[in-house]
Amino acid sequence: MTTTMSLEPSAVTAATHPGSLLWLIPFLPFFGFLLNGLTGRKLRSTKVVDAIALGSVGISFILTLIHFARLIGLPADSRSIHQSLWTWFDVGGAHVLGGLTTYKIAWAYKFDVLSGCMALLVTGAGFLIHLFSTGYMAEERNDGRYYRFMAYMNLFVFSMLNLVLGANILMMFLGWEGVGLCSYLLIGFYFEKEFAAVAGKKAFVTNRIGDFGFMIGFFLILMVFGSLDYDTLMGSVRGIMALPSITLFHHTASPTWWFNLIGCCLFVGAMGKSAQIPLYVWLPDAMAGPTPVSALIHAATMVTSGLYMITRLNFIYINAPVALSVVLLFGSLTAFVAATMGLAQYDIKKVLAYSTVSQLGFMFMGMGTGAFAAGMFHVFTHAFFKASLFLGSGAVIAACHHEQDMRNMGGLRKLMPITSLAMILATFAIAGIFPFSGFFSKDEILWQVFNGWYHHGLYNGPTLNLVAWILGMLGAFCTAFYMTRLIAMTFYGDYRGAGNDPYGLTVQSEAHHAHDDHGHADAHGHAAADGHHENHVHELDKPHDHHADDPEDHDFVPGHHPHEVSWRMWLPVLILACLATVGGFLNYPESLHRILPIVPAELFTKWLEPLLYQVAPVVHAEHAPPAIEYGLMAWATLVWAPSAMILAWWIYKVDPSWSRAKAFVARFPNLYRWVNAKYYVDEFYEAALIGPTKRFSAQLWSFDTWVVDGMVNGAARFTVLWAHSMHWVDQKIVDGLVNGVAWLIQQTSLVFRRLQSGRFQHYAFVMFLGFLVFAFWKFLA
Amino acid sequence: MFTANTTLMLVATFLPFLGALVLLLVPKGQRKVFEYGSLAVMIVSFLLSVPFWFGYDRGSAAVQWFQAWTWIPTLGVKFAVGMDGISLLLWLLTTFIGPIAIACSFSSITERHKEYYLWMLVLQTAMLGVFITQDMFLFYLFWEVMLVPMYFLIAIWGGPQKLYAAIKLFLYTLAGSVLMLVAILAIYFLQHKTTGVYDFSLASFQAMAPIIAQQSKTFQILMALAFFIGFAIKVPMFPFHTWLPDAHVQAPTAGSVILAAILLKMGTYGFVRFLLPILPGATKELMPYFLTLTLIGIIYGALVAMIQKDMKKLVAYSSVSHLGMCMLGLFALNPYGIKGGLLQMLNHGISTSGLFLAVGIVYERRHTRMIADFGGLSKSMPVYATIFMIMTMSSLGLPLLNGFIGEGVILMGSFQAFPWAAVVATLGIILGAAYLLWMYQRVMFGPITPVNEKMEDLNLREVLYFAPLVIVAFWIGMYPKPVMDVMDAPVRKLVMQVNPDFYKAESLAAQQAEAARVGMHGMEAPEAPEVQAAPAGMIHGGGH
Repeated sequence: MTTTMSLEPSAVTAATHPGSLLWLIPFLPFFGFLLNGLTGRKLRSTKVVDAIALGSVGISFILTLIHFARLIGLPADSRSIHQSLWTWFDVGGAHVLGGLTTYKIAWAYKFDVLSGCMALLVTGAGFLIHLFSTGYMAEERNDGRYYRFMAYMNLFVFSMLNLVLGANILMMFLGWEGVGLCSYLLIGFYFEKEFAAVAGKKAFVTNRIGDFGFMIGFFLILMVFGSLDYDTLMGSVRGIMALPSITLFHHTASPTWWFNLIGCCLFVGAMGKSAQIPLYVWLPDAMAGPTPVSALIHAATMVTSGLYMITRLNFIYINAPVALSVVLLFGSLTAFVAATMGLAQYDIKKVLAYSTVSQLGFMFMGMGTGAFAAGMFHVFTHAFFKASLFLGSGAVIAACHHEQDMRNMGGLRKLMPITSLAMILATFAIAGIFPFSGFFSKDEILWQVFNGWYHHGLYNGPTLNLVAWILGMLGAFCTAFYMTRLIAMTFYGDYRGAGNDPYGLTVQSEAHHAHDDHGHADAHGHAAADGHHENHVHELDKPHDHHADDPEDHDFVPGHHPHEVSWRMWLPVLILACLATVGGFLNYPESLHRILPIVPAELFTKWLEPLLYQVAPVVHAEHAPPAIEYGLMAWATLVWAPSAMILAWWIYKVDPSWSRAKAFVARFPNLYRWVNAKYYVDEFYEAALIGPTKRFSAQLWSFDTWVVDGMVNGAARFTVLWAHSMHWVDQKIVDGLVNGVAWLIQQTSLVFRRLQSGRFQHYAFVMFLGFLVFAFWKFLA
Repeated sequence: MFTANTTLMLVATFLPFLGALVLLLVPKGQRKVFEYGSLAVMIVSFLLSVPFWFGYDRGSAAVQWFQAWTWIPTLGVKFAVGMDGISLLLWLLTTFIGPIAIACSFSSITERHKEYYLWMLVLQTAMLGVFITQDMFLFYLFWEVMLVPMYFLIAIWGGPQKLYAAIKLFLYTLAGSVLMLVAILAIYFLQHKTTGVYDFSLASFQAMAPIIAQQSKTFQILMALAFFIGFAIKVPMFPFHTWLPDAHVQAPTAGSVILAAILLKMGTYGFVRFLLPILPGATKELMPYFLTLTLIGIIYGALVAMIQKDMKKLVAYSSVSHLGMCMLGLFALNPYGIKGGLLQMLNHGISTSGLFLAVGIVYERRHTRMIADFGGLSKSMPVYATIFMIMTMSSLGLPLLNGFIGEGVILMGSFQAFPWAAVVATLGIILGAAYLLWMYQRVMFGPITPVNEKMEDLNLREVLYFAPLVIVAFWIGMYPKPVMDVMDAPVRKLVMQVNPDFYKAESLAAQQAEAARVGMHGMEAPEAPEVQAAPAGMIHGGGH
């Protein structure tokens, strides 16, 4: 790996510091992937696989920490470490706005305030989730696909690090597609399950639709800026905004118009990757993958790439008001609609999946108001609490013998105390209760949205902001409700799984639900058959040496009672839950800082500040935050979210038979049906897009066979036919003529043959006749 | 040891033919001799071609290692050979694919071994010849000779409808060749009329461009159409593509590999070598029609591929779509587009060969190519699944693999020239992901049947012939610069020939460097109004 500087020296900015080990952060997991992927099958012990996978991500995390520390030591306006490895694309010249550019795209990394944070998240959460996987995937250790899982996970970390650390948009796109591939591979990890394979493909293809927009977006950036390097883009945006108009492709419009177009195109990409309406449909299906995958890829990191992209290109979005409105609109719609979908799900992972879609909507709402730091902060807090929730649900699923239906759970609090504690903490965080992290991040977003309409007390901002705020508040209510419902159903009441079901709540798991997560029909089929479920659960812990942590329940109850999982699984859950609990103080709002000045205000926002484009100079006018901000805060954390939680508690905990919920469903069957069926969006896509495309393909295929190829074959057949007719003509006419001549000659010759008698007298007579004729003719003439 | 020179180039080119002559003397029954003998010849030919990669002068657009011997002086025919970067890349691709095509035949060819390997070797020389020739007469000769071995390969060792497919391939492409010949002769006689000499050399043909530009519009359009149809059949472009699925489906695996990797490239190569430089004016005139056919091809090929039940047919239709992408790049007439188009020719040669080889693997084991007969193969054939996955990803343009570089550069190039065309083509890429992954899912994933459970994974020979493809796919994906450098100067020359205004625009390099230097500071709001004006002035430059 040579580290040559292939860009011209002048392209390396003064505000950037070279870093020689930066490349190792993404490449270590890549080497881990290669090692495990190529040799994993032959390794005798899966411990080696663990060491490679965890070691590579762990060292990568340490390197990230070192770089981050270095970043902190630098002055705020030059917090950027740059490393260019080699020229990736060098394609001669391109005609762009303003002339000819010989721009080269480098394989380069840039570690700055934003990518540094993201890299910390990816490697840090990545490491914890790798650790969790060593426990969760224990069954796979015996059937030879464990190495494959770990290799894919490492590949994912590599791709995600390329996405966040890349120094230009194409590097981001490299990571963008790479994480899509890993997502595809990991969703379809249990590929022998048809639905898992289908879900993987659905995720990939849906993302590809988003990439379509993303590609058009960055082509436009290339055309307008003549470059894809973040540094160059950031440097030239002010100049471009100052242009009176931009003419590209024979179309003249203001720079804002073009930025709006770019912003909307790129947002289509974000819709795909970050699961926004209308492209969110793949994410719930993606739950077919193993739970650590859901935690890492479909909650903490990959799905936030859209947010990262918008923050990275904030200088475009802030100059593109229409694009921002689009982001706000779709974000708030998603936040609300997905939250309602979460209300009626029974699959614990599906609830979390819709919750993720909804929370991503909140983040986009933040972006849509131009509050990039607020949106980004929610990315981080969400990563903590949602990863914790997913991993916790994974622990629950593993403990309950791959049961994912919450109706068949219950009472797990006593059996799995650590996991339940962690998940309850995370639930408070996601519900937005002070002082958990979700409060700080979500409240800030909702405040920014509201503030857009409130407009310093004038109430004259865009109506969209008000609508978005209302949708957001409703979404927040639903969030608090379904999360409490999840907790109540899973951890409270009595365990319903061991045949102990006084209210008839349990359901026969559908076959695919039972194996949604672990597709080992044959591996544990016999275990299920002879009823030794607890034996099976113990299999999970066999490779571990830490049985001391587990409650000794070998002869606990003669049922199928789950028990706490091994430390490898609960420790990451707990760490993430703790982060979710206290993480909010990293972006302590200014308004509360005035009340409690011990906590420094807005650390995160200030940290990101150098990266955020400023339209006008920042005025440090010290005006007090409006009273309404305090009012809304108090309302959200004291009334709004708690009332939702109490409502859910009242329905699902206070009344263990859930009769109130049943009564509600009986009262509004259609509403329930629609929500439960997720508004039939998938069915709509199938009927409106996929089906017609397939039918159209079939028609084209007939067209190809009968018309296009038909013409070719027709030409051939015509030629043959023509040849036949020619043959006939040839035989009957041309050859007939020849034969006719021959026949004629033959016939004539018969006459002449008579003449050739051989007798002299005859000849003399003919000669005489000839002479007579000649003389007669001469005489007449 | 070996340095790149004309002699070595000729040796590498004709070595397969000589090998065929030697093998001719070996008695029929010696199967191993033919297999390993022809493999050895191909490998040596490849090794001999390697020095050219290093010896090529990347700074020059001239034809290198050029040499010409008088052949038929009265007609102005010379035996002229030499290569520039464009032909070098395709020539190297051919020598590279050669050993792979032989190696994959060992188990699939079960009868008439002697003839098979002889024809393969003859075919190899004919294809290599096309890329080194610098004389139109010689070019046409190689171009036509190539068809004969291909005809026999399909007609003897092909599938159930082999005769139909072989004859269709032969006649269809011959029809195109004849049109091309007419155009060549027209230019040849025009040249004599204007300059007074008979000359078949390629350089003199390209030098005819300004004279042709003075001819009547009808003449130019007819010339362009003759070339276009000739090459479009070979590419193949919609609606001249229907010979391709038949030929691919019926051909033996190696035949499909060569067909996809090299033979189709003859068409695109023809566009680059003849149509664009000789008839730039008429090409631009007809561009809307060419572009329409190209775009239809991209979408149409992808859609039709989607519903194929036969894996080989699916890959064949995907070729129609992918070569449409190549053509889109070439038609952009700017460096991004042409380089992307050329690179995508190589990429298609690698990834589609890989896919055909992959289909061949399961066909040899199960004697069926129907997607419905498979499922869950990942379980019984993990190595195969990995390689198939890599080739699929390469074909659908995943970053880190070669396909992405090609498609990305093509789209960036065509976006500069025809933004809407690029948008439509991007749709084709979405469909590409859909049909390839759908096939992969149905073949490799899902529940496995007992008969598929017994299928054996790749053996060492199979891994060995896949390995080079995988390595090159990653190499081009991660570090395409060496390849780009080889074609840099010739593409520059081509753009000058076909789109001379391109390089006249003002250069932006200094402004961009300044912008990069400003970097993060550009995010800060200017303190005072007069500072604001400074960067604005730089960008103004020359607008469109």
